[in-house]
Amino acid sequence: MPKQDVPRVRRPELVGLAALVGAGFLLTAIGARWISGPIAILALGLVFASIVWLIVTAVMGGPEARRRIAPYGLLKPGALWLALFYLAPLMTLLRLSLSTLPSRFAVDAQFDWNFGNYLDAFTDFGAQFQRAFLYAGIATVLTILIGYPLAYVIAFRGGKYRNLMLGLVVVPFFTSYLIRTIAWRSLLNDTGQVVQLLDAIKLSGLLESLGIMDNGRILQTPAAVIGGLTYNFLPFMILPIYVSLEKVDPGLVDAAQDLYSTSTAAFRKVVLPLSMPGVFAGTLLTFIPAAGDFVNALYLGNPSTTMIGNSIQDQFLVQNNVPLASAMSFVLMAIITVLVLVYSRFFGTEDLA
Amino acid sequence: MTKRTIRPKSVELSRRQFLIRSGALGAAGIALPQLLAACGGGDSGGGNTLFFENWPAYIDPTEDGLTGTVDRFVEASGVDMTYSEAFNDNVEYFAKVQPILGRGDKIDPDLIAPTSWMAGRLINLGWVDKLPLDKVPNKSNLRDDLVKPAWDPTGEYSLPWQTGFAGIAYNLDVTGRELTSVEDLWDPEFAGKVGALTEMRDTIGVILLSMGVDISTLTSFDQAAPAFDKLEQAKADGQIRRFHGNDYFDDLSNGNFAATIGWSGDVAQIQLDNPAVRFLFPPSGATSWADTMVMPKGAVNRDAAAKWMDFVYDPAQAAQLTAWVQYVSPVKGVRGEVEKIDPELANNPLIFPDEATLSNTRSFASLSEEVEAEYDAAFSKIIGA
Repeated sequence: MPKQDVPRVRRPELVGLAALVGAGFLLTAIGARWISGPIAILALGLVFASIVWLIVTAVMGGPEARRRIAPYGLLKPGALWLALFYLAPLMTLLRLSLSTLPSRFAVDAQFDWNFGNYLDAFTDFGAQFQRAFLYAGIATVLTILIGYPLAYVIAFRGGKYRNLMLGLVVVPFFTSYLIRTIAWRSLLNDTGQVVQLLDAIKLSGLLESLGIMDNGRILQTPAAVIGGLTYNFLPFMILPIYVSLEKVDPGLVDAAQDLYSTSTAAFRKVVLPLSMPGVFAGTLLTFIPAAGDFVNALYLGNPSTTMIGNSIQDQFLVQNNVPLASAMSFVLMAIITVLVLVYSRFFGTEDLA
Repeated sequence: MTKRTIRPKSVELSRRQFLIRSGALGAAGIALPQLLAACGGGDSGGGNTLFFENWPAYIDPTEDGLTGTVDRFVEASGVDMTYSEAFNDNVEYFAKVQPILGRGDKIDPDLIAPTSWMAGRLINLGWVDKLPLDKVPNKSNLRDDLVKPAWDPTGEYSLPWQTGFAGIAYNLDVTGRELTSVEDLWDPEFAGKVGALTEMRDTIGVILLSMGVDISTLTSFDQAAPAFDKLEQAKADGQIRRFHGNDYFDDLSNGNFAATIGWSGDVAQIQLDNPAVRFLFPPSGATSWADTMVMPKGAVNRDAAAKWMDFVYDPAQAAQLTAWVQYVSPVKGVRGEVEKIDPELANNPLIFPDEATLSNTRSFASLSEEVEAEYDAAFSKIIGA
């Protein structure tokens, strides 16, 4: 009967780490097709064996070994999932982005370190990249301006209607994203209610001079695309801000006022800083998908408002230029990563950055 | 070309019908293979089954007491037919089958119905087989202007399913006047209210025809460059509101578009709801398109496919199809048969254009792989993608 403090298996955490990294690497290799055929089957067997190894080590090793191996065991499902469905496709995409199609309808692109794809992505689609980040940036700022006061009211003044108001924020999203965007087309029709109302209250002239309306229409203008993005991503801003505001103890504001702070200063110095993690999270949740979005530009925009998402989709599915499309996707990812890093460096909070 | 009109009423019924039919087919599928096996082989033309993958809402279903084409065919021929509506977009479908056909493997359908230019691409790539036309006596009913077309110069690989035209569709309430030529699209009065199709061959084709260029003999990009320049200019001027696929009914009907390059069959449909919507066969010429039946490489059920093609090229059968789908039939003699069903329909010039109109239509040349890539790249740049 084993009754000892020293685990039976020596260094169980090394077993856990080896099983985790090894299996993750093998699964990535299978997914990215670096290996195939019998070798892939062998590798799959090894992945399976690593799981068995982990379990056996945990069962045989006693409580101390189990305690030390537990983190690796818990990480394993997530790590394997990421290896197969994130790392492997990413590696495939990276390889494709450096490949050349031997002919237009060739099935397989040939890998030849073709960095020209990246050059093409920058030179041919600079305008679409700029528009994507410009529109996404404006939409993100708008969602903060609209979402923050709303989240504030729900969190501090919601009272018994708090859950109802939160529900109202979320309910429209039970309808498909696509349908909601297409519905905007009916609302913003040249002869629709919105334009008629603006005409009736004589606002259309003002909007026209501000560049929001163009020749008597809103639909198929940059304003419509940005409006669509703002609308579609608003809940992703409201909910994180609400969550961080809800955690703010109203007593803190009382305390600030007891110390002769004005309510404005109390907000600026107490509530706002405490809610920044929510704003930060909301910004990421809004800006990143908005920059890659193609639905709003497709349905609400005109030929001069296309975003990079439209171009990538076109290169993938219409032009069959998979290497170029892959390079464009990577450039998009790279720019977003840099922007997020810079953003988190300056605005990020301890909690998130 | 990617236009598939969906009438709400028919869709309801046809879906219900489809479920009933697929249930019946499923039951038949259990029993038939054994029967077929019992019949014995020796037939190079494959078994007595057929799998046709076609566009949605593109065939008359069994409804309102009428028997649909598929059911009539199954009854007449005894072929165990599977009819699918999974062909929804030329480019998407191509992307789906490319890795399979490109590696020399076989896809499930015996027949598919790509649009003519896509059929041309498949023919050039060698991804389709010759049709068993020697077993299709009714092929003599093929409309004269569709014999040996540009996309299939020998006429051995494709047989049209339905055809139609692209020209100018406009809303009289918005334009305030009848349009008479393609030039009307560039009228500054319609700035921001003009559309065009994302289908490159129709948009560029209609513009090129208005410039006096014969689109059926194009071989290089330079020949078409003026039309691309014209379109680029119109976009830069803000004349073009939007490039669209088959999602332009609302824009045209509610006045977002004053005019657009559109498909004749769509206008026939929109007119039912909004008589102000008109179609102009441009005097300079309209582009003609066709969705064509082709057999993917390695398709086995050649005899059944021949029986099917022969069946739908019988004018009496084709007329019932036309009466439901309301496109221009590629089959000669359909008009007389439609007259028996619905005399009003037989006089619709969008479904039965006269000889003069027909002779003033052109189909886009089949482009080589490199030239097509140039066209597509230039066009995608203009449409902003």
